[in-house]
Amino acid sequence: MSRLGQGRVRMPESARPGEVVEIRALVEHPMESGFRLDNTGKLIARHIVESFVCTYNGVEVFSAKLRPAVSTNPFFSFYIVASGSGEFVFTWKDDQGGVATTKRSLVVA
Amino acid sequence: MNTKTFKAGRRDFLVKTAAVSGGLMIGVNLAGTVHAADAAGTSEVTHWIVIQPDDTVVIRVARSELGQGSFTGLVQLVAEELECDWSKVRPEYADVNEHIRRNRIFGSMSTGGSRGIRDSQEYLRKAGASAREMLVMAAATEWGVPAAECKAQKSVISHPSGKQTSFGRVAIAASKLEVPKEPRLKDPKDWKLIGTSPARFDIEDKTTGKQIYAADVRLPNMVHASIVQCPVFGGKVKSFDDSKVKGLRGVKSVVAGDDWVAVVADNWWRANQALKLVTVDWDVGENGKVTSASIMQFLRTGLDAKDVPVARKDGDAEAALANAAKVIEAEYHAPYLNHATLEPQTATAVATDDRIEVWVGTQNGESTIAAASEAGGLPLEQVIVHKMHAGGGFGRRGVHQEYTKQAVAIAQKMPGTPVRLQWSREEDMKQGRYRPVALVKLRAGLDKDGNWKAWHVRQADQSIFVTVRPADIKNGVDPVNVRCFQDNPYAVENFTDEYAMRNPHVPPGFWRAVAHTHNPFFRECFIDEVIQAAGKDPVEFRRALLQGKKDLGVLDAVVKASGWDQPAAKGIHRGIAVVDSYGSFSAAVVEIAVTDATVVQVKRVVLALDSGYVVHPDAVIAQIQSGIVWGLSSAMHEEITISEGRVDQSNFSDYRVLHLSETPKIEAVLVPTGGFWGGVGEPPIGAVIPALGNAIFAATGKRLRSLPFKNHGFSYKA
Amino acid sequence: MPESLSRDNHDIHDSQGIHVASRRRALGALAAGIGLIIVRPARATPEDLVLALREAFGDRQIARGRVSLEIPRLAENGNVVPVIVRVESAMTPQDHVTGISLFAEKNQLPRMLDVRLGPYNGKAVVSSRIRVATSQQITAVAQLSDGSLWSASAEIEVVTSDCGL
Repeated sequence: MSRLGQGRVRMPESARPGEVVEIRALVEHPMESGFRLDNTGKLIARHIVESFVCTYNGVEVFSAKLRPAVSTNPFFSFYIVASGSGEFVFTWKDDQGGVATTKRSLVVA
Repeated sequence: MNTKTFKAGRRDFLVKTAAVSGGLMIGVNLAGTVHAADAAGTSEVTHWIVIQPDDTVVIRVARSELGQGSFTGLVQLVAEELECDWSKVRPEYADVNEHIRRNRIFGSMSTGGSRGIRDSQEYLRKAGASAREMLVMAAATEWGVPAAECKAQKSVISHPSGKQTSFGRVAIAASKLEVPKEPRLKDPKDWKLIGTSPARFDIEDKTTGKQIYAADVRLPNMVHASIVQCPVFGGKVKSFDDSKVKGLRGVKSVVAGDDWVAVVADNWWRANQALKLVTVDWDVGENGKVTSASIMQFLRTGLDAKDVPVARKDGDAEAALANAAKVIEAEYHAPYLNHATLEPQTATAVATDDRIEVWVGTQNGESTIAAASEAGGLPLEQVIVHKMHAGGGFGRRGVHQEYTKQAVAIAQKMPGTPVRLQWSREEDMKQGRYRPVALVKLRAGLDKDGNWKAWHVRQADQSIFVTVRPADIKNGVDPVNVRCFQDNPYAVENFTDEYAMRNPHVPPGFWRAVAHTHNPFFRECFIDEVIQAAGKDPVEFRRALLQGKKDLGVLDAVVKASGWDQPAAKGIHRGIAVVDSYGSFSAAVVEIAVTDATVVQVKRVVLALDSGYVVHPDAVIAQIQSGIVWGLSSAMHEEITISEGRVDQSNFSDYRVLHLSETPKIEAVLVPTGGFWGGVGEPPIGAVIPALGNAIFAATGKRLRSLPFKNHGFSYKA
Repeated sequence: MPESLSRDNHDIHDSQGIHVASRRRALGALAAGIGLIIVRPARATPEDLVLALREAFGDRQIARGRVSLEIPRLAENGNVVPVIVRVESAMTPQDHVTGISLFAEKNQLPRMLDVRLGPYNGKAVVSSRIRVATSQQITAVAQLSDGSLWSASAEIEVVTSDCGL
């Protein structure tokens, strides 16, 4: 069963055309690596976020393929060029079918 | 490019203010770190050694002084090769922040595993030798003579022509030379300083009360904090009510973290008293029902489990047991133990927007700077660590840095104000990092002639590595917990060691000698049971199985020194044990008298130790003495018990340790055979407990298979 | 102003002020086909890392430079290590970074993370938080739009993995 939680995004609400702005995105997830041992020394099954995609007006502007080495509550910071007003959609998917989505709007003027 | 001069500005301010206000001087090294570009004539000749114009030789120490003598022993290693005047040697802790800026130039700062001397000796001796060669080269260059014709002794460089100079006068020139890559090291037989016992640098101040510990740090405008963490390990703060505390005299604030609440006041007593008036609603999580009994049940599932990781398998122990003429079977157990360092966990911190400074008695300066950096959210470069001599380390103050992180968190709530966080004794007792519980089942098979043919060990115990170094656990086997069994030196043809990890919620930690605090007890007392069943002699039986092993040397030495071969005096009963650990070999004989069938008086402990080399004999003897006290204390008295998921004990009133008056006569026998470097901090502990257990059997016929012995109705007489 | 954390140039000087970066370039001990990854002179590139690099990049040469990898020099336990990768690039449609990958030579799985980038990012600067199992070298490899591969490595000491035992 997926333990994917909420996504959280920090980015400006508006930007000038051509401005390069930072986006910070995080999602709640234990990122169980599959290497940890339980209290009787047995391996705890892997359960991780596998992909993170950010689209801007429907076009991918950042994506990541995550592996067990990414820390709990996977965090990314990246930059985008503000090209026009529109919607950002952030989507996280884990290996148990969990999907989390967060949306943001950016006004570019 | 020389390293930047360390920003001593703030420290200078603190020193001056402390002096003006009459406050106690802070810390060990207030002079700060000196570099080649600094004070006129003071020079770094290799990063380990700073030589001043007056020939003062400052030697830097990367590890921590915990009372075990590293502050002196590590310095001897350098000074031996340096050929300096020992009376002008001054040790100082290598600055942790500088160490980071210079890309970890001082190497490991970890003080544990009895590794201080043996892990450092090669590079420290090379540093001393390199520096000597550089100093000699500088003088020879100045004189226009071959360096090979010059001699260095007691900080004086001389040439047969009569030319002479001192280290202080050529230090600047020497500091500019390239450090020799492979300096020539002395043969151990030529050592003049290593192997002697010069007055230790730490003892005088410690005995006169001058020594400053982290708990003694006093800074201008400092406040004091006492803390309570969730008594059920793993629990969290749900809410807290500090209404009774507001307005109390001296109370500054109440601060909370995820799993702790602290009161800050103008003195520690007020902080601690106020803390008792704060009601905390804890979310204790799932572990509120755990007890010592339920933990024992949990361990037992490890003994009963079908498929368990195998740490070692020689031959076929099961088959050999099935065919044995006689089978001996026993279960042994050991409880949780607390370090109970005399100085409770303490850290002082001051934080501003761009800087964090901490004062801690730490076993690893790097652990502290990393913990402070992560807790405070500032890069390492902006964190200053003042290493203090620790009031007892024993493994409590290395990897566990919660007190550092807590102090930083509290300090960040009041930027610019130094906060001295000191755990109360009760908090220290209830929030330890405990020597883990262990349960073991041992079986031995003898043939019809009493030869030991089969040995099967099934261990069920708690792993420390799983929390601290999980990458080192392979195939479910904790490499530390199986020590003493997996690596046992006895030549038993069919031997199996199985390891079942069972981790209760109680937080484990490295208690001085770690697995060699209980596994040797299990092993050497069980071997005694095997010896009794075989009707053999404890020394001869072992001797036969230790052929070709270094253990024979210490066994023979302890037999000779204790007079084991002669009958014991009337009323005296003896036990013996042989244990190697941390690279060294030891054997102990414990002599006791028992009155009223249950009152034990330890008359004498004789312990032989082969550590390869001995740097400071007095310090090694002190380690043997303290190791024996440590072992006897846990054998007779110490126990941490769990009820409702929390520790029952609160202070030395209910966590009994050996008293000074109960220390027996101790004979330390040093038998270094050379050719290897073994530790001395922990090796003296392993053999003491089983030797006592075997002595009690010899005296009473009672085989004690669990610790502490007081639980079997035995008490202890000075 | 505190010194930068980044060690993209391995700009280390020993106590005598001698620049040691040149000593660190050891091209010898590498599996065939994997290009100019800089390793420490006394140590070969661990086989697991070589295999991971080959899996990611085939036989292509990986050069040194243009990439800056910023991680703390020490981590207490390595569970949450902040990392920033910066690649020099104008990020134009003709010349930009197309992806960055992170490798940990001694983690159970050396390949940690891959991100995809393009001119729409404006800046090739990505941060994340990673798990480092033990003291080791972390390597960032960036792929450019012209197909070339550039890298930087940095040492991180995980202090608990050195706890004296």
